[in-house]
Parts: sequence; structure tokens; C-alpha cells
Amino acid sequence: MPRVLLLLSRTSYRAEAFVAAAHRLDVDVTVGSNHKQALAALSPGGSLTLGGEDVDRAVAIIVGFASDYPLAAIVAAEDDFIQVAAAASEALGLTHHPLEAVRSARNKAVMRQRLKAAGVPSPWFHVASVDDDAEAAAANARYPCVLKPLALSASRGVIRADTPAEFGLAWSRIRAILAQRDAVMRSGHAVAEILIEAYMPGREVAVEGIVVGGELRTLAVLDKPDPMEGPYFEETILVTPSRLPDGVQRNIVSCVQRSVAILGLDDGPVHAELRVDGERASPLEIAPRSIGGRCSTILRFEPEATLEELILHHALGTAIDEYSRVPGAGGVMMLPILEAGVLREVGGFEAALEIPGIEGLEITIPVGHKVVPLPEGNRYLGFLFARAATSDQVEAALRVAYARLDVKVEHS
Amino acid sequence: MSNPSTSPVEFTDSARDTVRQFLQANEDANFAVRIRVASPSPLDPRYEILMIEPDEKSAEDVVFDGDGFDVVMEPESAKLLDGARVDWIETTNGSGFKVENPNLALIGSKPLQGPLADRVRQVIDQFVNPGVAQHGGQVTLVEVRDKIVYLQMGGGCQGCGMASVTLSQGIERILREQVPEIEGIEDVTNHGDGQNPYISASK
Repeated sequence: MPRVLLLLSRTSYRAEAFVAAAHRLDVDVTVGSNHKQALAALSPGGSLTLGGEDVDRAVAIIVGFASDYPLAAIVAAEDDFIQVAAAASEALGLTHHPLEAVRSARNKAVMRQRLKAAGVPSPWFHVASVDDDAEAAAANARYPCVLKPLALSASRGVIRADTPAEFGLAWSRIRAILAQRDAVMRSGHAVAEILIEAYMPGREVAVEGIVVGGELRTLAVLDKPDPMEGPYFEETILVTPSRLPDGVQRNIVSCVQRSVAILGLDDGPVHAELRVDGERASPLEIAPRSIGGRCSTILRFEPEATLEELILHHALGTAIDEYSRVPGAGGVMMLPILEAGVLREVGGFEAALEIPGIEGLEITIPVGHKVVPLPEGNRYLGFLFARAATSDQVEAALRVAYARLDVKVEHS
Repeated sequence: MSNPSTSPVEFTDSARDTVRQFLQANEDANFAVRIRVASPSPLDPRYEILMIEPDEKSAEDVVFDGDGFDVVMEPESAKLLDGARVDWIETTNGSGFKVENPNLALIGSKPLQGPLADRVRQVIDQFVNPGVAQHGGQVTLVEVRDKIVYLQMGGGCQGCGMASVTLSQGIERILREQVPEIEGIEDVTNHGDGQNPYISASK
């Protein structure tokens, strides 16, 4: 039976989905992470402790492990271990995006440089360090602009500034976020860098795909119907299929395919975020990973399979051509945290689930725990899932169900 | 199945009175009561009880005498409901029918007993709990039914982002090795209520 090394970040939302997918594919699984699993002693070969942030050291541990337990694939569930997965796959000759391509795609500034140099529509941008002089950086910026800490993900620390004064406030706020312990642990040396780029107008969309031998296999184009105009960029609703005209969707997919080729991503999942202004699509992010949080729940395929199963199939060398997204529409709402404090209650749970089309509601922060809104926060309150015949119905169901929730936060 | 003329489902006096009051209020003797098993899962058995008109019966339905009204069921529901009891309850939070069904008893409602349960419990005590205790967790056997083991995770395991890994890579492996006749393992924990998970998911 082939063995898959599944790399899970310490705080993964995806562990259950990937482990379940591996079991359905009937492959042996080794879970690799940065901490020792509670029951590691009960399953020799079942887990691997990589220890620390040092990529070379983690790769050496994986290569050593593979001599006792040969690996057929290495898959990182999310961004944290992508570089380790790429480097270890290269060392062992396994299917994966190349390490150099992963490095380029993970660093938003390098990605911007490479795409811009190749003629892909790109905004003005500049990289600064939080240790630089904020006033000078503000004076050099073009407005409106967006400040993005290179090290963080999922809109954390991303702030729009329309004036030098707003720039200064955003800068101070990002500095404080980057000093938080989890931010420092997350990304080592890159933690102090901020990408400053011109604000791109338009609506935002996401593309989920798997690159097979350099060719993008588009699995879904997802609309983000809420306006993403700042000052913070909270992701809320994702709905697929997209309701954009076919021609615009073709432009979007073409932009992702071109970006993937420029970056050199050739075998593995891709999650892209783009701005669409009229018919023009511009990439915001081309990530060498799959969609985050619990959002993959809305992507189902036939013959029956989850996104995680398709990713594993491809990593193991199985063709995924026969799979297509199931008919109908699906959507997810990442429940926003609107105020800081301590979560006391989420009421209206049953009422939300009664809305036709709503398939699930998951609150991922326990009652009694601290909640922090964006741009400082790093957790989702939860996820609301819907399925219906059309994307309009899905979006409506998510909005009505969300309105029935009564989130009580005690101010701290 | 019971005698076709008699409902396999027992209605308590209050449940029967409620149905009769409904029928009298609607002055239509042709109304019947449909009972359906909406979810047969022993983790969350759910039922539907509806008042239906004659044209809402299908040819496959089985019809029983409910003592003053007809009781209509799909054949599959009739099997699952044989011996069930329907009550009408009124509380400060509202009122409604309540179904007590020994065929779909909620997991954890039966006493833990028997050699299989004893062996599973022994494995959990000997191998599993000393390991998860290092992360502030504990695992409790809730029930063994039809060779399926139902477990609850507590402490640091409840709501932990790695709970599924602990379950599949640790608990399931050792249970299948030590008690090979078990056919499945189900985690019945409400992880959303975990107050002190060892690891919380984040972006």
C-alpha cells in the first residue's frame, strides 16, 4: 500500500478532511507536524515530528524517515509546510511543484516582480521593512494603497490607506501585529516585511485548481459577492459556480494559467485570488496550495470525491481527468468576528440550519474564548455551508441564515 | 411486524388526545397521522410526525389503526418503529411529540456491558489515555453497538485541531490491533464545546 506523508500545520483547519481523504483512498498515512502526536508511540510510521522552522532540517528528517517507510507522495495541507513538502519531494523524486516555484509564489513581493516582469497586469508595488521610516514610506506610496505583511495570510494585517495619515496608522497597527508571538513564530525573517501596493478596484474572485504537468485543471471559479474595498479585507462569502459572464471567466482562468506558468508551478494544487475590473483580471495571489479554512467542504466532485481526495490522487500519480464538479451550486460563509472580547454565546443555531439550502454550521471558537476581529485576528468564528440549484440561491441562503445567528461577545 | 390492523407504534393518552383534538378542530375524519424516521442514525435519530390528507398516502405506505385515526408509515419506517412509543410533551420551552424508540436508542443510552465493551475499555485505559493525558486529554468509551465503538474525547482532545489524527493514527490503530473484531470507530464528541483544546485551529 502506498504511503503518503501529510504535512499539517500545528493549527490546521484541514487535518480531518485530509486524513479522511487518505483513508478513502486506502493509502497508509504518516502525519508530519511540528509537534509530537499524542499517540505517536502506538503507530510506528504513523507520525513524524519535524521540529522547528528549519526547512533543511525538516527535509533531512523526512528523507531519513523515507528510507524506513518509503513515501509515494508528500502533501502539505496548507501554506506553512509547502516549502518543506516541495524540497523533500525534490529530494525524493516525488510529484510536486518545484521548490523554486513554491518560493516565488509564497513571497507576494517576488510573485509580483515575476508576474509584472512577464507582462501580467500588476499594480504598482514596493516592499518595506517595519523598521523603515514610516513617514518616508508614506510619502513614497501611491494612493489609495494596500499594506500587506508578507508573512501573514487570510487578510490578517491587510489594511487599505487612502492618505499618508491612514498609511501611518496602518503601519503602526501592522507593526504591533507582527510583534505578536504567533506572527513571529509563523514566518521567521520575512516577518518584518510589508508589501505596499496600489489598491486595485473591482470585484474579487478565487480559482481553485490542480496543475498537472504544467497545465491548469480548473476545478472551480468562486465569486466573492461582498465588496472587498477595505479598509480591511475580511473574506466572508464564497460561491461557485461564478455568475460572471463566460468571457470574463475565461479571462480569469487564462490569467491564472499564465501566472502559474510564469512562476513555474507545474504539479500540485493552486489557489488563486484575483481582482476583476470590467473584463480584466489581475492576480492578487497565486498560492501553491489548496483553499484554506474549511472552505473545501463546498467543492464536491463526481465520481464521488472531495478536493482533498483529488489532491492526493494527483500526488500519487493517478489521473484526475474523469472528475468534474457536481451539478448545482455551493457556498460557504466564513463567519466574521465583528467585535473584540470573549465569546459568550452563538444563538440561533437551529434557526439558521432550518433555512432551505443550509447544509451545515460549524463554530470553530469555543464559548468562553477570546475573539479578535481583523486586521489583528487570526481565527474564523466559524463556517456556514450551503448548497442549492443556483449560486443566487446559495448566496441568499447564507445571508438569511447568518442573519438568524445571534453572536454574543462580552467586551473585555 | 405486528398485526397489520394494530399500530406497531404506541400512542400515549396525551399523544392520542392531541391528534383527536386536531382532527375535531379540522372536522375532517379523513386526516391521518404519518410517522417517518427522518434519520435512523443512533447518534441523532430524528422523526417526522405529520397530519396528512388521504391523497398524500402512496401505494407503498402501510396503514395501521391508531384507535380513532389512521397511522401511515413507509415500509422502512414501519420496521424501524416497531415497538416505539409516541408521547406529547409540554415544557416551558414549547410542546411537541416525542418518540421513544428502542430500535434507535441514542448512543450512550444503553449500559456499557459485555465482553467486547470490557476489552475496548481496557485498551483505552491501558494504551490510549496515558498517551492523550500528556496533552491534557482523555478518551471515554460511550458504547459498543453492533461492533461499532463510540468514543468521546474530552479535555485537551475536545476541539483540538489534531483530534482526527489522534483518532485515526492512534486510537483506531491500537483498537483494531487489540480488538480485531470491531468493525468501526465513531467519535461522538461535540468538539465545538471544547473549552481547553490542546491545539486550536487558526489562519
